[in-house]
Amino acid sequence: MTLNRERFFISPFFVFFTVHGAQIGIGVLSFQRRLNEKVGHDGWISIIVAGIVAHILIWMMYQTFQLSGTSEDVIQLNIQYFGKWLGNVLNIGFVCYFLLLALIVLRLYIEVVQVWMFPLMGTWQFSLILLLLTYYTVLGGFRSVVGLCLWGVVIPLLTIFPMLFFPLEYAHYRNFFPILDHSMLDILKGAKEVTVEYLGFELLLMYYAFIKDGQQSHRWAQLANGFTMFIYLVVIFISTVFYNEEQVKHVIWPTLTLGKIPEIPFIERMEYIIISIYVLVVFPIICLAIWSATRGLKQMVSLKQRLSLPVVLITIFVASLFFNTREEIDQLGKFVSTIGFYLVIGYIPFLYLLALFTKRLKGKASMNERSMI
Amino acid sequence: MKRALYLLLLIFVLVGCKSSRIVDQVQIIHAMGYDWKNGTYTGTAIYPTFKQGPMTKPDILTTESSTTYDLIPRLSSKSALPIEEGQMRLVLFGKAFAKKGITEIVHSLARNNKVGSHLQLAVAKGDAEELLRITAKTTLSDTLYLSNLVEQNIREMNLPNTNLHIFLYNYFGKGRDPFLPYFEKKGNFVKLEGLALFKDGHYVGRIDLRQSFLVKMLLDETKNGVYQLPISKEKQKGRVLLENLYATSKYSLKKGKKPVIDIRIHIRASIRDYPIWLDLPNKESFALIRHQMEKQLNKDISKLIRQFQTKEIDPLGIGDFVRSYTRHWNEKSFYKQYKKLTIRPHVKVDIVQTGIGE
Repeated sequence: MTLNRERFFISPFFVFFTVHGAQIGIGVLSFQRRLNEKVGHDGWISIIVAGIVAHILIWMMYQTFQLSGTSEDVIQLNIQYFGKWLGNVLNIGFVCYFLLLALIVLRLYIEVVQVWMFPLMGTWQFSLILLLLTYYTVLGGFRSVVGLCLWGVVIPLLTIFPMLFFPLEYAHYRNFFPILDHSMLDILKGAKEVTVEYLGFELLLMYYAFIKDGQQSHRWAQLANGFTMFIYLVVIFISTVFYNEEQVKHVIWPTLTLGKIPEIPFIERMEYIIISIYVLVVFPIICLAIWSATRGLKQMVSLKQRLSLPVVLITIFVASLFFNTREEIDQLGKFVSTIGFYLVIGYIPFLYLLALFTKRLKGKASMNERSMI
Repeated sequence: MKRALYLLLLIFVLVGCKSSRIVDQVQIIHAMGYDWKNGTYTGTAIYPTFKQGPMTKPDILTTESSTTYDLIPRLSSKSALPIEEGQMRLVLFGKAFAKKGITEIVHSLARNNKVGSHLQLAVAKGDAEELLRITAKTTLSDTLYLSNLVEQNIREMNLPNTNLHIFLYNYFGKGRDPFLPYFEKKGNFVKLEGLALFKDGHYVGRIDLRQSFLVKMLLDETKNGVYQLPISKEKQKGRVLLENLYATSKYSLKKGKKPVIDIRIHIRASIRDYPIWLDLPNKESFALIRHQMEKQLNKDISKLIRQFQTKEIDPLGIGDFVRSYTRHWNEKSFYKQYKKLTIRPHVKVDIVQTGIGE
């Protein structure tokens, strides 16, 4: 049995790619704008604050798994700590959240493609292609999803990331000063705004069971989060010196507009290349979220993933057709990120504390038992 | 396996859904001119037509409208091929248009995902249309003439770095005002004549090409540009041509009741041309002209800045500089006292070389 299961496992090292890959999504294209609204040029401080919070939350997740002893994913955790009924209600919530996550990432990416490249393209065409690919990948099992995450991190890192440095030609380093021109409260507000950009690590709650020696992967998850923070810091640094505060308000995707600057003789407009490669950033997240949702269903009602996957994909495909205008997409985005925010900020610490206290109580109880004897 | 094949087939079928624009089946606009004449807007587009082989011939389309928005759509009604603005390299504003305000066009360009950030904007004395017609006539095949002219002058000569991104940066940014290259018709040629200055999207004046070197130097470190200066020794008078090799400027702020801004400028230059009577390798005359040059440059820069101050425009971004040293900087209150602000230039010239002969 154990030998049989072994071949579905991933080694702890790959958690770096799944966590980091899931964190950096479509938000990195536009987070400067929202950050700028709250904290202006002091945004980088907010990013560090939010990054540290994410570090702590990841630590809490690993602690929870360790404390729980037997549970290996959030479905089991919920049932262990909240009982069958309440636990399953929460589990349904989680599955819905994963589906919404896949939906919003898909729809936001399609929006970018529509606005920048093919204004006439219908949502369904791209949605169909991407979801067919998702079907193919997720059917390949968790390991193929992880493989995709690996390339979804490595390829953009080698292609898109270096392009971000070209705009430094127009850098105004003055824009950073005066440092801390905003109050602590503003910085915390900004941190709340960017916490959403660190979302993605909570998927770990689902695939923790698939990591060989789960606790071993802790440092890789932390490292991944640190690396995410580093990428966000680089992006915000370049955006701060490239745009001024007023200008960012007029740009919807500041990171993509940065891509207008590099110019090479045979390709004049790099942002189109960036958008095309970006599918590799977006696609692993969709796969990971959909995999998590189907896995959740399997754990809850032992529905085979092979059966639930087409249903889930068709649901997402149909749902993606209902969001057409900027406003609708924006609202959906806000909705999902609000859920995500309270999920990681509220639920994870709560679960951790619950696990901690249960363990303490049990420990005391067993101590009492022993002293009775 | 069979299923995978079906999937593959579907993907190939869907690829047919793309939209394509083939290069010789669209009209690629290379430069666009905007004018305001007798209560209507005129739009002029210059585009290459492909005749035989690699030779292209510049062609012109022009149309009129009561708003700026539908100029490009209206151009389409005069063109057999769809008009494509993705390769636009230059937008030229007539002076009357620029005076009336370029806000609408600028916002439209900022929103337009098709145009690149390297697009050049410029102002023409008189009509943009006339200037574009001249370039179409005088150049055989070069529809990019004016944008190349601007770029060449940025790279080698006195023009400060400009393009759409820099313009938008200055336009939207607090504590700075935009500027653009300024063209004039000289006989049958188009000539770069300095910088057009803007305030809140309206043209408010211009400076000449000589002064634009000073602006270039004050904005950024620069490695090019020439500047002619008068010198005198005893009773002889003449001029030297200073060629900038590397110039840097450093701003510093003295806070207080009356804030003072000091600008330290360090020019490493070579003297390209000088009068015969000046025996340059001589140490004494070296020091003499260095001193005279520094004095003259200080005077010219002060004059330039005073000119900006009286017009209440800030192309140098002095406001932005003060902002970076002030907590909770306020744009309005700063520009209230901007006119009376003391700004002192301190130029230091190092003559690196004087050429290969004596």
